Amino acid sequence: MLHSQRKSKKLLCMGEFFYLFLVGLSFYLLLASRAGEAHTIWEVLHPLFIPIFFIATILLFAILFTSEKVSYILLFIIVHSILLHSLFSILFPAGDLSGQQMILGRTRLVFDNTVIHGWPPWPPKTIQTQIYQWFGEINSQAAVSTVFARMFSLDIFWVHMFLVPALWGVLVPIAAFLTTKILSENEKAAAFSSLLVSAFPYTIYFGAISVPNSLGFIFFFYALYFSMKYLTIDSPRNTAWMLVFSFFSFLSHNLTGVVSFSLVVLAFAFKTSMKEDRGSSTTAKIWMFVAFLVCTSLLPLSFTYLQLFLPGSHVIFSLDKFYESSTGEIVGLLLIGELIHFDLKTRILVITGPLLGLLWMIYLSYKLKKGQPTKFGICTLFLFAAFFMMLIDYRILKLFMVGLPINEERLWVFRDFIAAPFVALAIYAVVSSIKAFLEAKSPSIIPISGLKVFSNANVFSLSLIINILVSLLLGGWITASLSVAYPQVAPLQTTWYELEAAKYIEENTKEKYVVIGDVWTIFAGEMIVGIQNPGAYYFGENDPRAYDLFAKMRKDPSPQVLVEAMNQTGADTKVAYLIVTEPRLGTEEFNQVVSRVLENGQLTVMGIFGDGKLYVFSYRKE
Amino acid sequence: MLFGDREVDASSQISRLETFIILDKKLIFTLASYFLVLAMYINLQVLRSFVLGFMASIFYFLINGMFLGHAFFEQEAAFFRLTFGILLLIMLLEFIGWLSVIIYNLDVVRFTLVLFVVATLSSFLNRKAISKNVT
Repeated sequence: MLHSQRKSKKLLCMGEFFYLFLVGLSFYLLLASRAGEAHTIWEVLHPLFIPIFFIATILLFAILFTSEKVSYILLFIIVHSILLHSLFSILFPAGDLSGQQMILGRTRLVFDNTVIHGWPPWPPKTIQTQIYQWFGEINSQAAVSTVFARMFSLDIFWVHMFLVPALWGVLVPIAAFLTTKILSENEKAAAFSSLLVSAFPYTIYFGAISVPNSLGFIFFFYALYFSMKYLTIDSPRNTAWMLVFSFFSFLSHNLTGVVSFSLVVLAFAFKTSMKEDRGSSTTAKIWMFVAFLVCTSLLPLSFTYLQLFLPGSHVIFSLDKFYESSTGEIVGLLLIGELIHFDLKTRILVITGPLLGLLWMIYLSYKLKKGQPTKFGICTLFLFAAFFMMLIDYRILKLFMVGLPINEERLWVFRDFIAAPFVALAIYAVVSSIKAFLEAKSPSIIPISGLKVFSNANVFSLSLIINILVSLLLGGWITASLSVAYPQVAPLQTTWYELEAAKYIEENTKEKYVVIGDVWTIFAGEMIVGIQNPGAYYFGENDPRAYDLFAKMRKDPSPQVLVEAMNQTGADTKVAYLIVTEPRLGTEEFNQVVSRVLENGQLTVMGIFGDGKLYVFSYRKE
Repeated sequence: MLFGDREVDASSQISRLETFIILDKKLIFTLASYFLVLAMYINLQVLRSFVLGFMASIFYFLINGMFLGHAFFEQEAAFFRLTFGILLLIMLLEFIGWLSVIIYNLDVVRFTLVLFVVATLSSFLNRKAISKNVT
């Protein structure tokens, strides 16, 4: 090995160690910032975290530009990805205050064996409801979390909290790598893609919360990869895998499942039309267009049929939004969707990636027109169609449908997954072209042959400057996306003392009990004992009885309301608790309720938590 | 190719280990997998040690992930073979666990059964792939 090679290898090793040190430091800073009471991560995040994360990302891009083996780079990217998606789980005592706590409430029932005669634990009214519950949004994640928790001998709380950040962190970069590799067969560009998939704010957010939809997105990405393999390689196995991953995507969440199956149909159509006459005839084009329309309509139609399986859901096509909104708003929604309600920085960061991806797709498709369709060309067209499908579906859901059970912006994750490989290919191609241009021009800069070494050194310096600039730019992009992905404004997250109170009640009550509190108390309680657990009853988050009973207690904290709650939850419920929390109620109302209960003297103070911010009162039925 | 011919030297030991495991002579790794399941069961009932559970799980994932990776993704590079193998293992655990949840429940005994079923299935598929390669 030459001296210069040895030196650069040593430098690379040092760079990698420094990168690992920075990532280790970032994890340490996250742990040091862990807070018991916070609204957003930005309130508690260590001020050094973002600069260190930024430097680490730049360094990772710089390593990407070196001759380091792609396998090692991929491992670094996985570590980076896990770090990026762990902020909620590490910083907050109970993760993000969102659907993931509701999911844990249901998963807890499975883990604690509260459900013993199959799912759902309550008798379903119809066979359709039964089917919806089986394939609902809870069970498959509940199963995988429970299996992991039992394997590791850990409480389900911890496994649930880190399940998606860990799986997403490992599997999404690999899926992005594989997808891009089919498109370009260039490992460096593919590695670029696996890192750049973290530059999309919505993918960062969904990788940070443990909800079934996130699991579904992971399986969707693999279904997409196998769809591309199905298009390029004639093997029954690829067809099978495409269907298997789509099924698992469906098992995780119906939204991702329907989109995956739509793409399966689209892939079938592409393959058929390509087989017949390589997609060039008018018949093939019409067939592809019809298939595209069918695939695009599958998602909106599936929502309208949801009411067959989920009574109470009423999703319909409607022009209500056109009547309710101004023309400017309609045009804005049509162009950039929900982003019209966001600030400029967020708009730019959410749009840049998909826009860049779209432009590169158009460029590649235009280039394809000139030549014979290759396997790379078929995949590009397929992804272009899939991307376009997502754009149309989003607008249909946003503007022409009402009563959707989800927010339409979830479709942005599909769009981002499809765009990420093209963004990577675009950036890689531009950087490579500039370098090639510089190399080609170098002899003309200094035409004296004797000074060629000097000339090469110049090219090397320019290449280095380009690498540094691109690393800075992309590192900044990912860091800025991170700042947008994690919300800047949020309600108070579940606090440590709310969790402590729920634990304390559970550990110190032998009889069946019911807890009355606000929705935040319900969130905390369901994470500890599950939702509607017959032995430790917290009303569901959407149960109107919970709001009604708590409102009555706030007005008149008398034992009658608690007796009413006990009667509603079963004759053998012996104890009822009332939880009031100062930051939730506001100091004035909190003090009023507490003083009224204490003056009344009929309820007992069971515990005071969080330095007097939370009171637990109890009442025992005679 | 990732961990492929170019990187044979660096990954030769991993490849040898992989070959050793997937050959599964005298079903030694299938039995090891069963033993790990038993260890996890005993750990859950008696010891409740995270370290023991974690170690047993890692080996369980490694053995069965390699079995499944070999059975279905033999053509892929070693890194992706293992990744797909483990992903497939997670999917199998998820699916059979889900079946258990919707039919009855997923208590410790049924969880152990799920692990046994998945380990048996992985071993069977691996052996099937081996015999296919031989013929």
